Formats: sequence, C-alpha cells, structure tokens
Amino acid sequence: MAKTILVVDDSASLRQVVGIALKGAGYDVIEGRDGADALTKCTGQKIHLVVCDVNMPNMDGITFVKEFKKLASYRFTPVIMLTTESQESKKEEGKAAGAKAWVVKPFKPEVLLGAVAKLVLP
Amino acid sequence: MALAVAGGAGTIAAGWNTWGWYTLAWSAALLAGAAWMGFANGTAAGEAGADPMIATYLQGREQFGAAVLPVWGRHMDNSRTQMEDAVSDLAGRFSSIVDKLDHALHVSSLAGNQDGAQSMTAVFSHSESQLASVVASMKSAMQSKQAMLAQIRDLERFTRELRDMAEGVASIAAQTNLLALNAAIEAARAGPAGAGFAVVAQEVRHLSSRSADTGRNISQRVGQISSAILAASQAAEQSSDAEHQSMQSAEGMIDSVLADFRTMTDALVQSSDLLKQESIAIQGEVGEALVQLQFQDRVSQVMTHVRENLELMPAVLEESRRHYEATGELLAPDPAPLLDALKSTYAMAEEHAVHGGSKHVAPKAADADEITFF
Repeated sequence: MAKTILVVDDSASLRQVVGIALKGAGYDVIEGRDGADALTKCTGQKIHLVVCDVNMPNMDGITFVKEFKKLASYRFTPVIMLTTESQESKKEEGKAAGAKAWVVKPFKPEVLLGAVAKLVLP
Repeated sequence: MALAVAGGAGTIAAGWNTWGWYTLAWSAALLAGAAWMGFANGTAAGEAGADPMIATYLQGREQFGAAVLPVWGRHMDNSRTQMEDAVSDLAGRFSSIVDKLDHALHVSSLAGNQDGAQSMTAVFSHSESQLASVVASMKSAMQSKQAMLAQIRDLERFTRELRDMAEGVASIAAQTNLLALNAAIEAARAGPAGAGFAVVAQEVRHLSSRSADTGRNISQRVGQISSAILAASQAAEQSSDAEHQSMQSAEGMIDSVLADFRTMTDALVQSSDLLKQESIAIQGEVGEALVQLQFQDRVSQVMTHVRENLELMPAVLEESRRHYEATGELLAPDPAPLLDALKSTYAMAEEHAVHGGSKHVAPKAADADEITFF
C-alpha cells in the first residue's frame, strides 16, 4: 500500500510540482494550502511524512510543525521543511519545532525524493 | 513642479520596463524626492508651514500615492495570480505527460520484457518451441514410413525367392515326368512282368503333372502378389515423396513465419528499449523542468514583498506632510525605513543579493549534500 505524504505550501504550483515528484515515486499525496488548512486535512489520516513550506499566510510552517507534533497520532511523523529560507536562525527554529530535515528551494526532485526515502515512516 | 512630477513619473515608467517590480519603491521615492527638490529651491524651513502651495502639494502627493499605489498593488497581485495559474496548469500538463509516458512504457514493456509471462518475446519463444515439436513429430512419422517402405521392398525380395522356388517345383515335376516316362518304357519292355510297374509309372506321371500345375499356380499367385506389392510399394513411395515435399514446404513456411515474427518482435523489443531510454531522458528533462517551474514561487514571494513595501509608502508620504504641517520643515522622505522594512521580509539569499546591488542572481537547485538533516 502506498505511503501518504502531506504537502503543505501556499503556492498551488509548488504543491503541484512536489506532488508530481512524489506521485511519480509511488507516494499518495494530500495537500494543504497553509498550516491551518493542513491541520484540518490530516485529521484521521495516516500520514507517513510531511513536506512543509515555512512562509505561509494564516499559519506559517514553523507554527504548523509545533501544532502538528502536539497531536498524538503524528508525534513521530517526520517533517521536511521545503523553503526558500536558507538562514541558519530559521533552520534552528525548524529543528526546535521538530522538523527532521531542511531543503532549500529550488529543489531537484531526486534530492527531495532522497530525503523522503530516508525519513518516511515504514 | 509639474515638470518635476512628470520627470518622476517618467522615471517610474522607465523603471517598470527596465528593472521590473524591484524598482517601483525606488521610483516612488524618486518621485517624492524630485517633487521635494522642486520646492526646496525657493522654500526655507520655518517659512513653508504657512505656504498654502506647499501644503496643497503635499496633500496632492499623498493623494497621488493613495490613488496610484493600490492600482500598482492590484496589478502585481493580478500578475502573480495569473503567473501562478499558468505555472500550475503547466505543471499539470507535465504531470499528464509523465503519466502518459509511464503508461506507454508499461504497455511496451509487455512486448519487450523477457521475464513477463505475457510478453511478446515469451509468446514467440513458446510458439517457436511448439512448432519445432510439430516439425519433429512430422519428421519422425516420415522416418517410420520409410522403415515401412523398406519392409515392403523386403517382401518383394521374398516373393522373388518364392517364384524361384515355384520354378524349382515345376522343374522337379518335369524331371519326374521324364523319369516316369522312362519307367513306363522299361515296364513295357519287361512285358507282363512289368505291368504293375507300368501302373506305378503312370501314377508318378500323374503326380508330376499335378506338381507341375501346382508349381505354375504358385508361380502365378506369387507373380500376382509380387505385382500387388510392387504397386503398393510404388504408391507408398509416391505418397512418401509427396509427404516429404509437403513437409519440407510446411517447414519452410513455418521458418518463414517464425522469421517474420522474430523480426517483428525484435523490432518491438528495440522500440521498447528505445522508448525506455527516451523515457529516462524525458523524465530527466521533466525533472529539470520541475526545478525551473519553481521560479514562480520565488518571483511570487519577491512580488509580495515589494507590494507589501509599496503599501507602506502612503504612510511615509503622510508622515512627511504631518511633519511639514507641524514644524514647517520640508524634508525629503527617508528611504531607510522602507528599505529596512523590505529587507526584513526577505526569505531568499537572492533577495539580499539584489538588495545589495546584484542585478541578476539565478539560484541553483540544491544538491543532495546541501540538505540539512536534524
């Protein structure tokens, strides 16, 4: 059975680009257009990994990861931050929130897939 | 004043065409600066507070900003939305291409896949094996028929021997007849004493005559059997020749059909391999295209940052006017707060680079070793 990945990004085109890469590798994809939307989308779903942007309206990526990690079902679900942010201070925020990896956009599909394969839950 | 404002507006238009959104904030600042310079020549601090012309100008400048900046912002939002929609559509089309390519590859792999039970190659190999066994079976039947023909030819040899034996019987009968005739002559010469012997001689002659008849009959029947065997042998040989030719023809046709089929499956396998190679190349291209499509997200972010910065401009103009009204001092708007605010929104290294003076900074897609794992 295919593993499910939650993709959170306020850019529809970015969600689509990430979706193409992940679906091409055999993953199922759920999309959230920001942190708040993603929290409602993941409820009741088995999520094997999250790919999340940082700068988003309504609820940013760092806040989302903190809220997501508070949910018992997703405490151990790995999160990859996929963002244009490359500042070390931001990375530290992501790490403190509970993210497992930080990938800077633009990304190569094979690079993202490598990180996903390394972290995705069995 | 009109000239100065027009000059500022011209600078804005030029900035729009040449440098794009980045220069809007600069152009607006220039507009304000050019207008200020137009007044600065004839106006001293402390006197201008009472100058209704300056007050009117500052109010008009504020109204100008309030009228123009939202329009610029809407245009930027609209452009951003259009670009996002177009790139989403483009990404969707790439996705569709990848799906169709995968499907075509899957279908073609059924023809070329050596391991697949349903593959064209597997079907060909199975058919070739079955047809080869049919040909082998036909050849085996032909060999059995040849063995049977050899046995029939042996029968013919036996009938010849039988005919010779029948001729031997006839020869013995003739000699026996001659012997009986001599015995009868000797019996006659013996007179009455040979009368009994004459009877025996006569019976022997009868027996030799019957033996001669039997020998002839045997010879005749053997001849008939021999003719029948010969006819059967010739018919079997003709049939065998016809079957041999037919089998050779069938074998040739099977070989020809298999060769055609082999050519076709080889071509299909080659096509499949070629498609696989092309697919890998296309997927590489699509991967590269997916990297390039991400420009929209970056451009969208930059445009959002610039638009948000533009929204701060009316407040700056208002502050400038309030300052003049309160102090009578006519100050040029300070670009530093706007630029600092703009800088604080930057997320990308390229934004900082452009802010610092770089004209063209194209970001590179991150390699695997650039991922940070926590």
